[in-house]
Amino acid sequence: MTSRRAAALAALAVVAPVLLGHTTGIASVWYRIVAIGVTYALMTLSLNVLMGYAGQISLGHAGFLAVGAYTSGLLTSRADLSFVIGFIVAGLVGGAVALLVGLPALRLRGLLLAVTTIGFLVMMTESVLQWRWLSRGSAGVELPRPELGPISLAENSDYLAFLLLLFLAFWILDEHLTSSRLGRGFLGIREDEQVAASYGIDIARTKLTAFVLSGVLAGIAGAAFGHLALLVNSSTFSLQFSLSIVAWVIIGGLGSRVGVAVSGLLFGIFPPTFERLITWDPIRDHLDNLVLVIGATLFLVTITINPNGFVGAVREKREEKEADAARKALRAGLDDAEDPTLPSLPVPPARHGDLAPGTTVLEVSDIVVRFGGLTAVDHASFEVKAGEIVGLIGPNGAGKTTLFDAIGGFNQPRSGSVRLLGRDLSDLPAHERANAGLGRTFQRTGLAMALTVRENLLLAQYALASYDNLAALARTSAVRDAEAVLGARADEVIEALGFQAFSDLPVRHLSGGQRRIVEIACTLATAPDLLMLDEPTAGMAPAAVENLADRLRELRDEHGRTILLIEHHVPLVLDVCDRIVVLDQGRVIATGEPDAILSDANVLQAYLGERAARQAGLLPDDDVAGERDGELVG
Amino acid sequence: MSDDVTPRLQLDGIATGFGGNTVLHGVDLTVAPGEIAGVLGLNGAGKSVTMKVVAGLQPAWEGRVLLDGHDITDLPAEERVAAGLGHVTQGRQVFDGLTVEQNLRLGAYTLRRRHPERYAERLEAMFTRFPRLKDRRSQPAGTMSGGEQAMLAVGRALMSNPSLLLVDEPSAGLAPAIVAELFDLLRSVNEDGVTILLVEQNVAFALDVVDSVHVLQRGRVVHAGATDELDRDELAAHLGIGRLLTASVGRSGR
Amino acid sequence: MTFALVSGVVVGAIYGLFAVGIVLVYRGSRVINFAAPALGTFALYLAWTMTHERTTSWWTAAILAILATGAIALLFERLVVQRMHAASPLAIAVATIGLMLLLTAIELLFWDPSPRFLPGPLEGDGIRVAGLVISPTQLLSLVVVAGLGYGLTQFLRRTDFGLGVQAAAMDPAALRLVGVPLAEVSGFVWATGGMLAAIAALLVEPTIGAFGPGFMTQAFFVPSLAAALVGGLDDVNGAFVGGIVVGVLSELTSWAFLGSSVPGASTVAVFILIVVVLLVVPGGLVGALRERLRTNLLATATGGLS
Repeated sequence: MTSRRAAALAALAVVAPVLLGHTTGIASVWYRIVAIGVTYALMTLSLNVLMGYAGQISLGHAGFLAVGAYTSGLLTSRADLSFVIGFIVAGLVGGAVALLVGLPALRLRGLLLAVTTIGFLVMMTESVLQWRWLSRGSAGVELPRPELGPISLAENSDYLAFLLLLFLAFWILDEHLTSSRLGRGFLGIREDEQVAASYGIDIARTKLTAFVLSGVLAGIAGAAFGHLALLVNSSTFSLQFSLSIVAWVIIGGLGSRVGVAVSGLLFGIFPPTFERLITWDPIRDHLDNLVLVIGATLFLVTITINPNGFVGAVREKREEKEADAARKALRAGLDDAEDPTLPSLPVPPARHGDLAPGTTVLEVSDIVVRFGGLTAVDHASFEVKAGEIVGLIGPNGAGKTTLFDAIGGFNQPRSGSVRLLGRDLSDLPAHERANAGLGRTFQRTGLAMALTVRENLLLAQYALASYDNLAALARTSAVRDAEAVLGARADEVIEALGFQAFSDLPVRHLSGGQRRIVEIACTLATAPDLLMLDEPTAGMAPAAVENLADRLRELRDEHGRTILLIEHHVPLVLDVCDRIVVLDQGRVIATGEPDAILSDANVLQAYLGERAARQAGLLPDDDVAGERDGELVG
Repeated sequence: MSDDVTPRLQLDGIATGFGGNTVLHGVDLTVAPGEIAGVLGLNGAGKSVTMKVVAGLQPAWEGRVLLDGHDITDLPAEERVAAGLGHVTQGRQVFDGLTVEQNLRLGAYTLRRRHPERYAERLEAMFTRFPRLKDRRSQPAGTMSGGEQAMLAVGRALMSNPSLLLVDEPSAGLAPAIVAELFDLLRSVNEDGVTILLVEQNVAFALDVVDSVHVLQRGRVVHAGATDELDRDELAAHLGIGRLLTASVGRSGR
Repeated sequence: MTFALVSGVVVGAIYGLFAVGIVLVYRGSRVINFAAPALGTFALYLAWTMTHERTTSWWTAAILAILATGAIALLFERLVVQRMHAASPLAIAVATIGLMLLLTAIELLFWDPSPRFLPGPLEGDGIRVAGLVISPTQLLSLVVVAGLGYGLTQFLRRTDFGLGVQAAAMDPAALRLVGVPLAEVSGFVWATGGMLAAIAALLVEPTIGAFGPGFMTQAFFVPSLAAALVGGLDDVNGAFVGGIVVGVLSELTSWAFLGSSVPGASTVAVFILIVVVLLVVPGGLVGALRERLRTNLLATATGGLS
């Protein structure tokens, strides 16, 4: 939103209700009804930050609202402080409580985390909110309508003006959030924590930040609601209410700013409106309950059809169409079943700049990884020098990917060390290893599937922008400049890929081969010193495989990159690698140049089995092999 | 080969995929009664999706699945077991919280529904074949060694007296020594007359046991034939181990 | 204190019953059924209507209400859970919130929010244990809980279908591949889960006295979940033990804070228990203790032999 547009909307938000309220005869209660809708929208927006963006399910959101309402109520009604202070402190306390509630999220995910948030809420409603010094009995906490010097917001229409301003502020903050690296970090941990960590995103910190930000917003929303209601107590913020907010957010569409705001607004406005408009007695008394039944049914239908809500279902339909069109456009010049090949990409300079040839980039010593009784990696050691392409090969189950995970910090080796450019990484978490210069792809294709190609490229550059979270929310000019640079780089890559038609489509609509190419582009965008590729050819078209060799050489020769490559496609490995490390049963059984590896009996046996190796004359028992030779050559 | 032998399993132009992406583009595959058939291919070639289509866990968009000549394309996975499929699944092979005997009993779920009286005899036969399972019949499966669990997985699949045993990537996640043991087991099961369809990425292990091979590449069968008549060069090229094989052949020719 | 212990066992048995329903559903679908207590409340409304607006006896009304609640849960499984087969367990769990909201809304719509009473099936003075009067209905509930616990355990252990239910939690895909119809297992666990919630609600209502729309959710949901978690979330016996643990803990806390200015101290204790169990022994307290006990016993046994 441009600042001029924001100012215009702000003026409208203030002037319209105030003017209407003081000049027309519209009953005061109508402003109150709209105000309820606006406060509900504030609530859904605040929950959407945590649940929609960061993917952390909180069923106890009403607990944060209660914290905000109680805080502002106590400060304004009992300490006689200004409502401005009330709202600010409500936000701060809401954030602080959310931080505490979020702590278990560092260990727990999904359902179990949801359980702790419910526990938190019930503890609040059944105990904390009923403490006598807080509530003075069961009456609850009073929240007077705000007064600021000469301006009183006692009239519903005036308070509505204030709420609309608040809503505008939430909206702009949300826009700033989602277009910054902080918001992308949220989406990253929602989509795939491992991929996020490989881009240098600190999972724990980002999760807690999401809790705090959501808690701050919820605290303010709770205060806004409280000052509208004038009195709150423990039953205001029931479990029922909390779960209803979750339902509104899901009906509106997780992660959809417009969707959740509209959903909150409507669920706030409809019940009291019906109650006033429909005067037919038999229904009138039951209207609010009827609306509850309709709301719950709507929720069930929505989630059954599409867990991402109504908005999600609509969006998916549209994307499906666009994806088809994009595929056609891309394939116009290609053989129907073939995927595009990887073109030369613009590559940002590596974090540690050009390295002198011969520098040891990666030093893996004595790594042991065990899963239960299985030793997946067994005292593996090897080195990678600057400007080398090193192949890591071995039969299925040899432990290659496990070794990659150990290097990247994605599992816990029993022993051994990993050094990058001389720095010991062994005790660092995955995201710090990424920031130290390790870039990797994943065998299963590490992309944020629900994000677009462009968003993935921006996410990959997470660590390359260095502004802090507050600047992100304020969207300072420094932030805008930094984002412009990231965006330009992403667009450059998309253009080089020829993926303009796909740029704004979620990557889950791409084919396996296309995803691989985008994934490699993303990893390159992290500007790694060492590029670790885990089976890049899996799912790639043969033409793309051949072409990959040229690209890898180009990265080495023209961009000075060092590459470690896991690959089952042996011809590619032999073709492109300077050295090869062979892993079998978790052990390094051979290291050397391609020719040496080709004539290594152990390697052939590991790959082809004893029979074939014997047939090839590489094992002592030559009798059988002699007979079978003709067959093999023919 | 006479053409009037009904294939144990036949896939006719199977196409399937996920969302807008097609993964299998018309796969044809035949398994003759009594053989061990192998499906080979690199990661991402469509091996496990093929297996899922046969099992009934992934719907076929096009094409038919025939078991002993009967069309089972529309049967749900459970009923395909009743129709004669047995599964040795990839990864966590057994129900680790249940005892050995309970695992075997679940394996006989379809058998016990139709012929409850044959269960005791079948269990006894299984214990005769695998005495180690008998010794551990009351032990939770999860506490056994990897090899014993693999043995139990095969035993459980055989309890329903299947006409076709589907074995999915046995080498994945198992120590090689155990894989070798498992393959020996499969061979002896096959010698007793059970037809086996084996999906495997590890060529070394697979080529040692299979009678025929289908090679998958990007969702298409690019090579099929009896193991003995294989053009190994072509096979190697398809499996991406080209020069490893040719190099070894070149050396031995010297 | 003994008083608190005894009443902890009585109320804990009910938590345990709810917890077993939650555990069964978790075993079959990997989903936490947030609607379990709401299903219980709904059964109360059904039974209340039958006994108050018709002249049905408590027993008939109870049985009909239990069956109806099972049917509602089964319907939910067929209409929602089955259709969401591609969705994550978390999304399905969120859908159970929809069921909970719907049942409460229906209660508000067809009945009114005023408190209602549903007396128990048995009259009489009950017996006195450690200063606490245990009513006949409470005694009945202990018997029913014990009987159901034993029956369910035997069913799960002895029948093929029961084994299938157990195995479903370990590996649902593999279960289909041994030929056990997963849809039937799923339908069974949801229906049984619903019926257990109904039984628990009917048994505990006379002790509590009054109920209103959505009442069970607020009062029983968190302790029942805590019981299930203490038991390890997929352990039927563990859930009963968990129920007793949670019941005793909350009654003891209430007793200790009696007369203090902190109301609802027991909910704080239960919340802390949940967080601690999840963070420290995610496999469940009962499972961990059993494991330790087994190791110790084995050690003693082998020690004795040598």
